[in-house]
Amino acid sequence: MIKAIIIDDEQLARDIILAFLKPFENIEVVQQCSDGFQGLKAVQEIKPDLIFLDIQMPKITGFEMLELIEEPPVVIFSTAFDEYALKAFELNATDYLLKPYTDTRFAEAVKKAIEKIESQAPVKGEIDSLNESRESMGETIDRIVVKTGNKIHILALADIHHFEAQDDYVAVHAEQGKFLKQIRMKHLEENLPNGEFIRIHRSHIVATSAIEKLELYEKDSYLLSLKNGKQLPVSRSGHGRLKEVLRY
Amino acid sequence: MRHPFLSNQNAIYYSVIWLFISGLYALVLFYSYEYPINEALLDSLVFNGMFAVLGLAFWFIVRYNSFDTDQLINLIASHLAAAALSIAGVIFLSLMLLQRAFPTDEEYLFFLQTSVAWRAGLGLMYYSIIILVYHLIRYYDDLRAKVQSQSQLETMLRESELEMLKSQINPHFIFNSLNSISSLTITAPERARNMVVKLSEFLRYSLGKENNQLNTVEEELNNVLLYLDIEKVRFGDRLNIEKELHPDSMQLQLPNLILQPLLENAIKHGIYESLEKITIQLKTLVEKDVLRIFISNEYDPKAVSKKGKGIGLKNVSQRLELIYGVPQLLFISKTDNLFTVRLDIPQINPEV
Repeated sequence: MIKAIIIDDEQLARDIILAFLKPFENIEVVQQCSDGFQGLKAVQEIKPDLIFLDIQMPKITGFEMLELIEEPPVVIFSTAFDEYALKAFELNATDYLLKPYTDTRFAEAVKKAIEKIESQAPVKGEIDSLNESRESMGETIDRIVVKTGNKIHILALADIHHFEAQDDYVAVHAEQGKFLKQIRMKHLEENLPNGEFIRIHRSHIVATSAIEKLELYEKDSYLLSLKNGKQLPVSRSGHGRLKEVLRY
Repeated sequence: MRHPFLSNQNAIYYSVIWLFISGLYALVLFYSYEYPINEALLDSLVFNGMFAVLGLAFWFIVRYNSFDTDQLINLIASHLAAAALSIAGVIFLSLMLLQRAFPTDEEYLFFLQTSVAWRAGLGLMYYSIIILVYHLIRYYDDLRAKVQSQSQLETMLRESELEMLKSQINPHFIFNSLNSISSLTITAPERARNMVVKLSEFLRYSLGKENNQLNTVEEELNNVLLYLDIEKVRFGDRLNIEKELHPDSMQLQLPNLILQPLLENAIKHGIYESLEKITIQLKTLVEKDVLRIFISNEYDPKAVSKKGKGIGLKNVSQRLELIYGVPQLLFISKTDNLFTVRLDIPQINPEV
């Protein structure tokens, strides 16, 4: 039996998935969720094999929810209209349904999903490459969603002081505390709004608004102090970028 | 640019002015210098007639020279040359002709010899005045052309701005509604048919409206209520709508589709970003010559909203400004969890 979860904020959208799933007797819908918070909780507790995921939802989007899941199940996305998402999907194998869709199209997607589940190929890589193609689309980051235990925090960019590379993770230093997130520094550097964040070092991106002062440390080597008291090293190219953004 | 004095009407004015000057000239010769009337008249006609004809040609000096600073020396040189040549020519020719015409009148012949100096002075004056008039005409014409093209540009700009500001129906809304209909065809076909009709009515009203068209409050409200109805099918109990509409407001006028983006905004920041039940309020008031419309939605003040930086509201505000020519017609107020937009629609003829 394949365990499935439907995550969509509209009842009618969930209904049609249920209706179209009727012929698939080996798929059992174990839970329906109307937002990403419930969805994340359900995925962590139930560990389903398959999720049907809407993208535009209150509070956090389907993509943001997925970013918080370490070992994601097979996902069939559904979306009405989102140009970035559509382009990302086009570059990717992950299946998606464009609302409204026919039962034939739905069945196709489900069959593909069943094959994937049965072959037990890891899904993680697929989701990662989907996220990568979304990143390359130049969709500006306007908030960061993180999680501690089972609690989800949505961080406004204004609350973030500094990003720090830590192995596979990035530590997000924010007003609310420090959070770890699986994300790449390059993605942050490229898609955070221009001028508001500067990559000062291979391992550090700082918010322009959090900068206190820049000091010469040794010859050709600078140290940046943040308003929260932290001191960070500045690389040579980082210094160039600082100069450019702060115009001094 | 065409010659200003060669069109029918202006040619008459030009001739009349020269006839007047010639008459005056002849009268001076006749009364002050006491020459016979035929001598005075012929002198006047020959001298002034030549300037009248040459004067038409002076236009081309003005027409084909510009006032650019780097051309200024050229301009002065060409004016000096033209003035010298034409004045000398006219004096020489008219003296020749007049001497031939009255070869026996000794006194007149002496007068002709001594008249060279003041004829030159008079010629210079004619030249200067004609050139000045041409410059004025050209300047005036340029100015008129400039004003015309500017107002044309402004109209075009305004139209394109209005086109841009016109509310664009959110494609997300349409596709999601179609998906809801698709779902209802399985579970509740009658409701599906109902929703198809509502969506069609809404689209018929919203698509292909002219920018500057005014509509009654009643029509506009019907349309946004249709929109809210459709959203209610999608969101069910999560969306609650309260209306408080003043009966006197219903026949007043407002720009079409001006409420639509405001309600879309209310839905977006209310329902789309909330997990709770949301109430949207619609209220109209009439105060003197102003129609006041209030649209409020509950919202979560802690929400870190994705996208939406008030562009929708700014567009509505700009559109009202373009239509009514008054800067502030949209007001925003926020309380703990209530976001209210107020529109003040003047009940006078808008500018468009």
